[in-house]
Amino acid sequence: MDTSPCTNGPDTRPLDPATGAPRPRTDQPGYYAGFSTMAQKAFWDDATRAVVEQRVHDVSPVTFFSDAEARLMQVLCDHLLPQGDRTPERRIPILNHVDERLAAGRIPGYRFASMPPDGDAYRLGFEALGRMAQAATGCDFLGLDWDTQEVLLEALHDGRPWPGAEDVWERMPVQRWWALVMGDVAAAYYAHPWAWDEIGFGGPAYPRGYTRLRGGEPEPWEAEERRVAWAAPRGALSDPEGQAPAQNRTGTH
Amino acid sequence: MKLKTPLGGAFGRSKPGTHHLGPIQTIDLNEMRRYADDDAVDYVVVGVGSAGGVLCQRLARAGFRVVGLEAGPFWDTERDWVSDEAGSHRLYWNDLRITGGSDPLALGANNCGRGVGGGSVHWASFTPRLHPSDFEVRTRDGVGVDWPISYADLKPYYELLELEMPVAGPAYFPWGDPHGYAFGPHPLGGVGGTLVEGCTALGIEVSAGGPVAILSGSRGDRPHCIYRGFCIQGCKVGAKASTLITHVPDAIASGAEIRPHSMAARLVMGTGNRVEGVEYVDRDGNRHTQRARAVIVSGYAIETPRLLLNSACAGHEDGLANSSGTVGRYLMAQVGNVVMGRFDEPVRMYKAPPAHAMTEAFYETDPRNDFARGFAVQTVGPLPIAFSNQMMAARGAWGWGLRREMMDYNHWAPLGVLGEILPWPDNRVALADETDQWGLRVPHVSFNLRDNDRKISKAGTAKVTEILEAAGATETFDESRFAHLVGACRMGDDPATSVVDRYGRTHDVSNLFVCDGSVMPTQGSANPGLTIQALAARTADYLISQGVTVFMSDRRDMTPPPVRRDLSPPGTHRGVPRLANR
Repeated sequence: MDTSPCTNGPDTRPLDPATGAPRPRTDQPGYYAGFSTMAQKAFWDDATRAVVEQRVHDVSPVTFFSDAEARLMQVLCDHLLPQGDRTPERRIPILNHVDERLAAGRIPGYRFASMPPDGDAYRLGFEALGRMAQAATGCDFLGLDWDTQEVLLEALHDGRPWPGAEDVWERMPVQRWWALVMGDVAAAYYAHPWAWDEIGFGGPAYPRGYTRLRGGEPEPWEAEERRVAWAAPRGALSDPEGQAPAQNRTGTH
Repeated sequence: MKLKTPLGGAFGRSKPGTHHLGPIQTIDLNEMRRYADDDAVDYVVVGVGSAGGVLCQRLARAGFRVVGLEAGPFWDTERDWVSDEAGSHRLYWNDLRITGGSDPLALGANNCGRGVGGGSVHWASFTPRLHPSDFEVRTRDGVGVDWPISYADLKPYYELLELEMPVAGPAYFPWGDPHGYAFGPHPLGGVGGTLVEGCTALGIEVSAGGPVAILSGSRGDRPHCIYRGFCIQGCKVGAKASTLITHVPDAIASGAEIRPHSMAARLVMGTGNRVEGVEYVDRDGNRHTQRARAVIVSGYAIETPRLLLNSACAGHEDGLANSSGTVGRYLMAQVGNVVMGRFDEPVRMYKAPPAHAMTEAFYETDPRNDFARGFAVQTVGPLPIAFSNQMMAARGAWGWGLRREMMDYNHWAPLGVLGEILPWPDNRVALADETDQWGLRVPHVSFNLRDNDRKISKAGTAKVTEILEAAGATETFDESRFAHLVGACRMGDDPATSVVDRYGRTHDVSNLFVCDGSVMPTQGSANPGLTIQALAARTADYLISQGVTVFMSDRRDMTPPPVRRDLSPPGTHRGVPRLANR
């Protein structure tokens, strides 16, 4: 139950920089309107089609994170890779994909000597978030309003965690924790064909291949770029170059 | 124009036991020769990757009884490989390793393969040779160590492997020992075009369209490249060379057994200070010991020293072949910094092979520099997940900022620095206290840059930035990273300071060999894949020249072997006259 006076949240939309008004939600953000990698799936090989279709249509339930951890992780996902510009049915289930990796115990083939195992690192980081929030405000991380959560996370991004969890950050460097979580979240998002559509990546291309290699030209089945100006929502600290004009940045700690 | 129907459609499914190696080539593993564990074969090769694939092929073709033990699967490229970044996780060595030191290395997808073909399944397949100077950096520059062999010793094997893979590239490659390629260069993609334009504007010589081990024209049962850009996710097309499709089929046809899902646990010593077999774990966790008259470890720069260290036994308490204490030491990675340049017009970096243009104009020691040795500049082509990682690592991108940066994916052209890092004894592979799923101690990798290494890294990044700006980039940023692995079981003439001799035979155990990237004493600024395969062909020629002596005696004959040009896989072209390839 959200009783906070803060108006920002996971559904906050980016702004039209000319008017400062929220831009309409869309099935496909980015500059390649109408481009769909999935529309090309008949041209993919069977194995690739199966892997990508499973990613889109067969999202696994959360099993690694507890309910409370999943609620926290979902909020982290919404800050670290916000999707308020997407219609709800076209949001990429980042939480489930990260959870699936951790549940399956898939690792990238190494662990930094300064880090605990990935699952432990997540849980330690969650604990630190709660303790930092408690030390500053007396409530846990999810009890902070959205903009304050953003400020706390920006401090982690900058490697300057709030007081309250020093012993955790002695056990694992805050920069490594941030890179672990951010890397997982971004990998889940940009593995998804809806994200490929957004950034104009052509996606799988076997057995057909690419033919227009130079000049950034699209294949006949790709789309030309049509750029759209947009600004991050007010209160978002992650996009300093993309702010709407006349905006007061709030919530510095 | 819209294409409405799939071209060619889905390719055929494989019959049981039959594996697709690319869309056309198939292999029936039901026909493969099998050896019993207690049948003492001539050679067990541990690891069927870049070196192991070539060794199995050469030794089997010469008539030896060979078993290749491979920890990973025997791929079916149609069934197992995908045109998908996240879906290609299984190609990499993903077992736990601990990475530390002041400059810890990323492992796994960055540099370690698993499965038949090993790293050659997911290499970008740049195939430059080492320069003659690389074999004598101590003499020339007072750094690193000289090799016990010279460029001339390896040159015939470079020529052979360039034809066996084969390598596509320009008719004239001007650096090191100038040479040309028999197979035509590839067309340029957007990133290669950027490199050529930037270099041309600055008067820097550049190699366009290679050298890469990717077919520019169809050959035998392998189609040519389709420029889909998924080279490091495994080439479903069969255009990019991996030993899985170039050498393993001939190894099997010549009587070798390639045994997948066989993780070597320990080298087993017998009487008379000779190795008598390899203990390995199968996919169900059962332990076996394959007996052998000689063993070649080809597990690459981490698993090879790990296996030797994990094989410590009475008389070899510090690990097998480690009387010098150098097993695991002098591990090297290369500077692999990526510099990104943003262009107003789209580039679409995902098209064309990541590897397709390069320059070695800054490879050699330049007295005007404040460092020894140098670097190469090469195209790279990160797909979206890798690119997002670079945006996070180098620009601190997150949240809406990351979304915005990624929407510009198609405007960036990335170029890679490939810089020489010198061999240092404390850059090493040791054993951690943790154990893996088989109870084997996992490797601990420690890596630390020195002053010369940092200067090369900085100079390389500055030069690539200059090239991108000359090509018209309006904005640049760079990510510090590493590429490749070699060293950790280096070759040398002195048993006190090296693990193996110039042919790969361990100084300590006369029927135990190491043959892979780990034997390299230094690395230059060349991608190591071609050199690893050339070294394997040379070691094979040595073993063939020695015949059964290796199995019967401890005598070390250091006579150079004749170059066996008759052992290439069937269908290997003889080259073109300008190569003067005899």
